[in-house]
Amino acid sequence: MGAGYGQGFELTPEGPIIVFPTTLGPWLDYTINGLVIGNIYALLAVGLALIFGVSHLINFAHGSVYMVGAYIGWLCVTKLNLPLPVTFVTVAAGCGLLGAVIERVGLRPLRNAPRIAPLLATIGLSVVLDQSAQLLFSPDPRALPTQLPTWRIAIGGGSIGALDLLIAGVGIGSAGLLYGFLRFTKLGWAVRATALDRDAAQQCGVDVDKVNRTVFAIASALGGVSGLLVGMYYNTIDPNMGFQAGLKGIVAQLIGGVGNVPGAIAGSLLLGLIESYGIALFGTSYRNLFAFVALILILVLRPNGLFAQARRLPPEPLTGTFIAPSRPLVLPKWAVWGLAALALALPLAVQQPYLLQTLGNAWLYALLALSLTLVAGTVGQVSLGHAGLLAIGAYASSLLALDAGVPVLLAVPLAGLVAAALGTALVYPAFRLRGHYVSIATLAVGEIVTLVILNWESLTRGPIGVTGIPPLSVAGKPLVSGQWVYWVPLAVLLAFAALQSRLLNSHLGRTLRAIREDDVAARSYGVDLNRYKGLAFAVAGFIAGVGGALMAHFYSYINHETFPAPVSMLALTMVILGGLGNVAGAVLGAAVLVGLPELFRAAAEYRMLIYGVVLLLLIRFRPQGLLGTV
Amino acid sequence: MANEPKKPLLEITGLTRRFGGLTAVNGLSLTVGEGELVSVIGPNGAGKTTLFNLISGLDAPDAGTVTFEERDVTGFTAERLASFGLARSFQHGRVFGNLSVLDNVLVGAHTRLRAVKPRIPVVGPLVELALALIRPPSVRAEEERLRAEAKEIIALFGERLTPRLDKPAHSLSYANRRRVEIARALALHPRLLLLDEPTAGMNPTETAEMLEIIRSLKARGLTILLIEHKLDLVMQLSDRVVVMDHGARIAEGLPAAVASDPAVIEAYLGHKAVGAANQDSANQDGGRDAEGDASRILVAH
Amino acid sequence: MLDLILRSTALVAGTLSLLTALGVVQPAFSQPADPAKEPVVLGVSGPLTGQYAQYGAQWQRGFDLALEQVNAGGGIQGRPLRVQFEDSQSDPKQTVAIARKFVADSRIVAELGDFTSAASMAASPIYQNGGLVQFGFTNSHPDFTRGGDFVWSNALNQAEEMPVLADYAVTALGLKRVALLFINNDWGRTSKDLFAKAARERGAEVVGAEGYLADEKDFRSALVRVRDTRPDGIVLVSYYADGAQITRQLREAGLTQPVVAAGSVYSPKFLELGGAAVEGVHTTTPFFPGDPRPEVQTFVKAYTGKYGIEPDAYSSRAYDALLLLATVIRQSGTDRTAVRDGLATVKDAPSVVYGTVRFDPQTRRVDKPLSTRLVVKNGGFALWEPGTAKVSN
Repeated sequence: MGAGYGQGFELTPEGPIIVFPTTLGPWLDYTINGLVIGNIYALLAVGLALIFGVSHLINFAHGSVYMVGAYIGWLCVTKLNLPLPVTFVTVAAGCGLLGAVIERVGLRPLRNAPRIAPLLATIGLSVVLDQSAQLLFSPDPRALPTQLPTWRIAIGGGSIGALDLLIAGVGIGSAGLLYGFLRFTKLGWAVRATALDRDAAQQCGVDVDKVNRTVFAIASALGGVSGLLVGMYYNTIDPNMGFQAGLKGIVAQLIGGVGNVPGAIAGSLLLGLIESYGIALFGTSYRNLFAFVALILILVLRPNGLFAQARRLPPEPLTGTFIAPSRPLVLPKWAVWGLAALALALPLAVQQPYLLQTLGNAWLYALLALSLTLVAGTVGQVSLGHAGLLAIGAYASSLLALDAGVPVLLAVPLAGLVAAALGTALVYPAFRLRGHYVSIATLAVGEIVTLVILNWESLTRGPIGVTGIPPLSVAGKPLVSGQWVYWVPLAVLLAFAALQSRLLNSHLGRTLRAIREDDVAARSYGVDLNRYKGLAFAVAGFIAGVGGALMAHFYSYINHETFPAPVSMLALTMVILGGLGNVAGAVLGAAVLVGLPELFRAAAEYRMLIYGVVLLLLIRFRPQGLLGTV
Repeated sequence: MANEPKKPLLEITGLTRRFGGLTAVNGLSLTVGEGELVSVIGPNGAGKTTLFNLISGLDAPDAGTVTFEERDVTGFTAERLASFGLARSFQHGRVFGNLSVLDNVLVGAHTRLRAVKPRIPVVGPLVELALALIRPPSVRAEEERLRAEAKEIIALFGERLTPRLDKPAHSLSYANRRRVEIARALALHPRLLLLDEPTAGMNPTETAEMLEIIRSLKARGLTILLIEHKLDLVMQLSDRVVVMDHGARIAEGLPAAVASDPAVIEAYLGHKAVGAANQDSANQDGGRDAEGDASRILVAH
Repeated sequence: MLDLILRSTALVAGTLSLLTALGVVQPAFSQPADPAKEPVVLGVSGPLTGQYAQYGAQWQRGFDLALEQVNAGGGIQGRPLRVQFEDSQSDPKQTVAIARKFVADSRIVAELGDFTSAASMAASPIYQNGGLVQFGFTNSHPDFTRGGDFVWSNALNQAEEMPVLADYAVTALGLKRVALLFINNDWGRTSKDLFAKAARERGAEVVGAEGYLADEKDFRSALVRVRDTRPDGIVLVSYYADGAQITRQLREAGLTQPVVAAGSVYSPKFLELGGAAVEGVHTTTPFFPGDPRPEVQTFVKAYTGKYGIEPDAYSSRAYDALLLLATVIRQSGTDRTAVRDGLATVKDAPSVVYGTVRFDPQTRRVDKPLSTRLVVKNGGFALWEPGTAKVSN
């Protein structure tokens, strides 16, 4: 039994393999494999790039549309036995319609809302779509057999099948069609005009709503077809297939330069190659680590993507900036003190451990939200990798306590310092980026933290995780009862919330908010952006690090999956829900979003769907957050 | 009215900035003396705002030097130049929308805060954080003093801003936002004030008010470099006028002399001879406004 | 599909109205009723939504079937057995809340789950301090049962399972140079180390080991690395979906070596997702529907009758775990501490996975799982060779 390559013609269970003998060795194979997977990323990246180009929106629902496309395809193929071309048309039509509906119902009502609201809406839509699919089709993965011929062309040690070629054809073909549409049709002109300057296009009589709807329909149709193709490619579809795929698509289009369709394809192929070479050099487990580090490097060296033209100074804002005008609800001082006192006294009146634990969790997550609302709300640096700070804090405290013998009460604040220092250092290269680029860079930083934890076994114990983390204890008495898991986080939270409010009332608060409102004007008045972004991330890192450390000591076990990417999303949702930069809002947002899923517990598998719907309604009717932007 | 400059505060030589094929500022030289008010005029697209960006450090020149108080500051960052005492306003008004009027003005005083002074990496910011959280009496006293001063500056604008101290800047009228910008610039205690079209969008009454304010600033000895389209205002305020077209200086001198310069009239009347080949479509609209301005020069003359 | 849509709308409406009533209704549960008729409740903490939902759904099928059988057989001394399944999404912040809920709820006799180590072990201190048995029937993390004397597991012990797999691959199939692909989590990593050790002891060389991320779908480049180690066999430490994926891509890449996979690929889904490519894959399983033992046949017949599909590894584990706890509770009573003590002494509990179950009271794990060697043949799992149905360790 040889390795089966370079041996002429042979039969496999899948069909005949044509082998072209080669002497180029494994590097050719890695290159081909990188291009094959990049080809798949390109399908999603093109749609994302189109939507970003016109609506300036990272569409987190795109992955879900892709999943819906796969399921429509599955119905067509296995239930209705439609021929392949009909399946394609049905999927494209179905998902195009879905895209138009998403735009109409989910996004258009938010066009005058803060820029961040549509982003959150796409997250909410994605929850609703994923959960609906899970309920309708069950969470089990399903096979999606392809009706294409099974011949394969072997190149080197790998091989390319009909589907690979079809995927490449669809990717390049759709990019070509898009190009033609954008160049040569009237609607295409309108799309490009809207992409360049929405307000000006509107004044020139362009129906911006129609443009948006068209773009969403086209991108979603393409996304749906991608889902179908990728489903066939792997012969597997499942309701959660969208998240990871969407993430890779976002990364790919960023490498190419957001909103740039040919750049998205090139970026995807490059991402595939980077991953493949990463595997070749370091091993399979380093795949994403390599990809995200490459992303950060590209962002830092070419902040507008590899294939974007050098840009001028950002144009002066004519109407508002990233943060929309807001009139925050201000709680009177006595009310804040009263609520804090009530919260502290609650365990005396209510002894239900479940309720206390849930609220204790809410207070722990409020620490994360507090941290994020400082950088995302006050300074306007929307971080999508904030869970990474929790993980750093949790690991630092656990390892200090277990391996260095530091008492837990000391390890927790030390972990805060570690998270502050490490977090700031990791995000530092992203300080020169603006807007959405910051979000993606921080998302990459969050992933890098997780992957380093997984791979740096000698320090972090790798995939096995850290077991036997000692609980918080005072005078040898462990604080593990229901009351303590409530009181400890609450006390820490109140202390940090008070500190943060004090910070916001000082000249620093003013300075940080000035950066958010208009960083160019702030610089012109002597505000050193790096200094204040660094300061904000350090404070945020400390708060989140302490939060993560507390979680670790309550959980007793952590591993690289304890603080996954969705936690970062959840934190951002809390912050936006509460009102950007709003300290009380962060606490309220955390309480609502930790509490709601528990409240909906009786609904069993429907609860996440309800959660998604409630989230959408909140964004729809209170886009500036419950308490408003400060 | 033309005082002889004591010593040059700002000296620009051969400044050049290109964007792709377009040369926005082309070998421009200019000096502004201590206590002088120099106006830069010229048709839209002449490169005036790019010039301001180059002076204030938001953009870096491809060639040429900028000297401020006898120090070569070419390519210095905006934040550093601000700390040397250079303040500017923006063409379209860049206020901090969700900050109150008072806070907007206080941001102007940023470089004067003692807490921001230590520029040592890591330690400096941490000291600043500690001072912000602990707020020792000296910090509180400084903050109180600055607040009082900011209110005084705001009072320069009469009853326009004072009743709106705590209102967010986004709720202000366009004219009021321009006033906030100038108040913010004054809070920096500038050595040199760059004003980019301070009266844009103002009606005649408001413009007259602004004229008086600028005049009073000048009377206090403030050095000002002004971009302005309203030429009667320029004529009344300026010690000297520099006329730019296509990124280059085409005339300079006393207001009256400049207004009668045939090259200036030529430029304002629509690029008949000079550099017509270089004309881009974006200038067309501006050209029309400029014609009106030019006719006003002639009237004023 | 229409009925699905109708059902979901109805349920959404129903749950919404239920929510409003929730706060009022809940305390009413604790009304004193006839204690002899009160249900005996087992708490389950597991993923019904989120990325692990498929496993929770498989558990639920196993539990439902076991409940039917226990209650048809008179329940627990005449009292019906119930399961309270709380969705955790395998999210630690939710499993700890669920743990508090269960510990505080006096009706709960013991708890089953959760699915991932991160989620399960975060809740262990609460169960331990609350004196409620946490029975992790799929928790193979080597330190899981170190959480305390209330933390038990009948999950396959990899220290036992991996030598069995190595026996199959090295001794029976004669592989001498094996390359490993393992899912890079606590289970995969532990298994990989144990397998490598066992394979070496049996005279084979482990020429390569590639750990892949849990959400990986593309293995082409990993397989180039595997190929270049020139193995004569490939061992997968995978779940069924990723196992099927690897096998497909391995065959597409022209690798023709025999594939031996850990028992976790045992699922009808492995065959469905892998298609023709998984033909010839070897695996071992403690549970096999073709096993002639009556308890297995009862289970398989009931399962296929109720759900129309063959049982898989996770639903059989759930079924087994629930029957085991029912047996223990019947013997030891419904007191929480008695359940813990009962687990230590139970000897002859029937099990589709183990034959009969017996715990090591020190490690709180089960020894000596059964093991059947299987091979995928004609699109189905078949005994590898007649006459080697059971290899007891």
